[in-house]
Amino acid sequence: MSLSGELIAFLGLALVAILGGVLLITLTKVVHMVIALVFTFLSIAGIYMLLSAEFVAVVQILIYSGAITIVMLFGIMLTKHQEREEPSKGRWGKFSLLLAVAGFAVAVYLGIYNLHIPVQPTTLHEENTKQIGIELFSKYVIPFEVMSVLLLVALVGAIVLAKKDDKDEEGDQL
Amino acid sequence: MTGVPLSAYLVLALVLFCIGLYGALVKRNVVIVLISIELMLNAANINLVAFSKFGVTPSITGQVFSLFTITIAAAEAAVGLAILMALYRNRKTVNVDEMDSMKH
Amino acid sequence: MMENAWLIPIFPLVTFLVLLLSGRRWREQGAYIGILLTLASFILSLLVLIERFKEPTYKVTIDWLSIGGTQLTAGFEINQLNALMLVIVSLVSLLVQIYSKGYMYGEERFSIFYAYLGFFTFAMLGLVMAPNLLQLYFFWELVGVGSFLLIGFYFYKQEAKKAAKKAFIMTRIGDVGLLIGVILLFWETGSFEYGEIFQAVQAGEISVGRLTLIAVLIFIGAVGKSGQFPLHTWLPDAMEGPTPVSALIHAATMVAAGVYLVATMFPLFLASVTAMHVVAVTGGFTAIFAASIALVQKDVKRVLAYSTISQLGFMMLALGTAGYVAGVFHLMTHAFFKALLFLAAGSVIHAIHTQNIEKMGGLWKRLNWTGPLFLIGTLAISGFPLLSGFFSKDEILMSAWEHGDYLLFTLAVITSFLTAFYMFRLFFMIFAGESRSSVNQVKESPSIMLLPMFVLALLAVISGYIQTPWFGTFLGDWLVEGNEKLLGASHNEGPVWIMFMAVFVSLAGILLAYMMYAKKKIPRDWLFKENSKLYKVIDNKYFIDEIYFFTVGYAIKGFSLFLSYIEKFIVGGLISTVTSSIEGLGKIGSKLQTGQVQQYGMIAFLGLAVLLVIFALTGGYLR
Repeated sequence: MSLSGELIAFLGLALVAILGGVLLITLTKVVHMVIALVFTFLSIAGIYMLLSAEFVAVVQILIYSGAITIVMLFGIMLTKHQEREEPSKGRWGKFSLLLAVAGFAVAVYLGIYNLHIPVQPTTLHEENTKQIGIELFSKYVIPFEVMSVLLLVALVGAIVLAKKDDKDEEGDQL
Repeated sequence: MTGVPLSAYLVLALVLFCIGLYGALVKRNVVIVLISIELMLNAANINLVAFSKFGVTPSITGQVFSLFTITIAAAEAAVGLAILMALYRNRKTVNVDEMDSMKH
Repeated sequence: MMENAWLIPIFPLVTFLVLLLSGRRWREQGAYIGILLTLASFILSLLVLIERFKEPTYKVTIDWLSIGGTQLTAGFEINQLNALMLVIVSLVSLLVQIYSKGYMYGEERFSIFYAYLGFFTFAMLGLVMAPNLLQLYFFWELVGVGSFLLIGFYFYKQEAKKAAKKAFIMTRIGDVGLLIGVILLFWETGSFEYGEIFQAVQAGEISVGRLTLIAVLIFIGAVGKSGQFPLHTWLPDAMEGPTPVSALIHAATMVAAGVYLVATMFPLFLASVTAMHVVAVTGGFTAIFAASIALVQKDVKRVLAYSTISQLGFMMLALGTAGYVAGVFHLMTHAFFKALLFLAAGSVIHAIHTQNIEKMGGLWKRLNWTGPLFLIGTLAISGFPLLSGFFSKDEILMSAWEHGDYLLFTLAVITSFLTAFYMFRLFFMIFAGESRSSVNQVKESPSIMLLPMFVLALLAVISGYIQTPWFGTFLGDWLVEGNEKLLGASHNEGPVWIMFMAVFVSLAGILLAYMMYAKKKIPRDWLFKENSKLYKVIDNKYFIDEIYFFTVGYAIKGFSLFLSYIEKFIVGGLISTVTSSIEGLGKIGSKLQTGQVQQYGMIAFLGLAVLLVIFALTGGYLR
């Protein structure tokens, strides 16, 4: 297998993504962890590019690297957190969890290893956004609308939950 | 053209998923736990997009679904953070292991 | 009229219910309800009695339960004894209620008192009307409950509480005997009906041994209720109740129930010589035993209580010596003069607020009405000639003589001497001599209290004339009419000298008391000193209470202690082992519930991982 440009790009992006994940685990400062994960999200966007999904890649950058990361940073800033993340589990807990994750990974990898699907030519890269738009507004229009309702519910719910409940606090004092 | 095989993407997704899982189960800070869950969702998204290109019947559907997943992830992050704020106001902590009111 | 006799006990029951439900509002006015309804009861009883003179026994029963082939019935019966008892009970109850209107005036729980009186009267009236043993037993227990409520009426007084408990438990012991007797009888004859039982007895269907056993068991019930030796100890303690209650219990209701039971079951007793003997000996012994205790008691009500026990012993003695008429006759006369004595004693207590006769004296002039009334009662109970007690006691003596039991006869004679003596001791200590209480406080009772006493005094004088050797034996003839075979003779003929001796004995007792307590010619301790051993023994009522305490009490306590240890260590140990082991399991379980979400997630994931690894290694189940 010769080193094609695609492969080099994949390897680089995958390396950054995994590195970001590993940093998430190993770093001690909470803010650093979030920043490390931004790299992962960005490189995943690159992976989407490789998979000829330009629209999804852009959405990934916008929502994950942009919105969610910012929201998370706000969450960190609004709460008084310990600067340094102390390890919570005992050594045995971590070790057994690591073992379990490794076992899980091996088991799934065996599945992936045995998976052989012939590559077929696709036209996904041609007018990718248009294709998604057509699908979304013809075949998946009902899920799309349901999704918008879901977002509205999440919006209202988040506001209600996070709102400082003045009445309750007065009630507590009584 | 010898492209990157499907299994490479799947393995990448697997690795990211495992990292996210480990983080979700080990980290004490709720924010980090939430972010780890986002990472797991991302890994699943990679699978969706990869299968949309290399699947048995390649189609755009996988990408559409990954869009839905991203939307849900965003909603989940918002609600999760709102819960976090409410909890923090009551318990004055963001550590998962101190939120044990379900005990006994 | 007799078909409406079922109304007689209903009236007091209505009193009870009405006063219990709404008595607090009426307070003192509640008395009128009680008095009026009891008056209705009394008038009806009187009409029934009058009608019963002309007509045969009236009996109504309805089927209550049928179990297999056995029919249990409920209803009522009016025979001679029942009709007579109805009148006595309702009359005494009526008079006591009128009296209580004055005596209990100002009492906080006035209407409750009348409610209890109504209940008690209801139970006793129901008892005497019962046509079968089962119904009798029900009312028998209701009488027990009524006495418990009334004796413990001053429940805030420790002694009253104890006395009520004691009365209930002691009579309960007797009740067990009665219950076993009734069950045995049902077993033998298959019926609770008096008539069928007596028929079976006469036909000789029951072996003599079994019959004796049953009779004695039933008699134990009577012993408990009528305060015969050895179950008499509750009766003096029952004096803790209000005085009108004592009058009611001692004259007409509670203790009369025992005598009534023996009288009702008389044919059964007649069939067994041994049982009759047991009854007679118990009665005779109780009579002299209680009389001797009464000699030294210092509490006016206790003297009267022991005299009641003694007189009940007389009745039992009469019944036990086949003197059915004599027993019932004495029951009736005793009801009148004992009620009179109690009410008069209550009047004295009401006037000077003490029950200790040592602190009384010289009241004859101050209590112009109570004194003579008390004297009439005392004369009647002492057997003074021409008063009611004289005739009824004569009957008993004759009966004992005729039966040929000369030892019991002697006991009875001595007892009547003692009776005359202690009753006049009581009388003289209260009314003769110098006044010992502060003068100004003494005042005569209101007329509402005196009126019932007048009625009773009148009856105490004249009620004896319905059965005399001179003017005919009307009561006896009537009582045994139609049942001569079952109940025996209507009158006991004895030598004339018995009557003279009875008169002599009672006069001697009176004279001795007069010399000792009124004239003080004979020092009070001429027979035995106050600190002598014999005196102490009698003063402590022969230590019967103490003996019970040290034998029965300790035995039961020891056994209870043993059981409580079994309970504590064996049963309790077993239970605590079970509970603690389960608790331990639960604790282990709850330890697992740490509330750590991540821990839960980790365990769940571990499980998934293990499953997946197994799946990957084996290639799955389906391969």
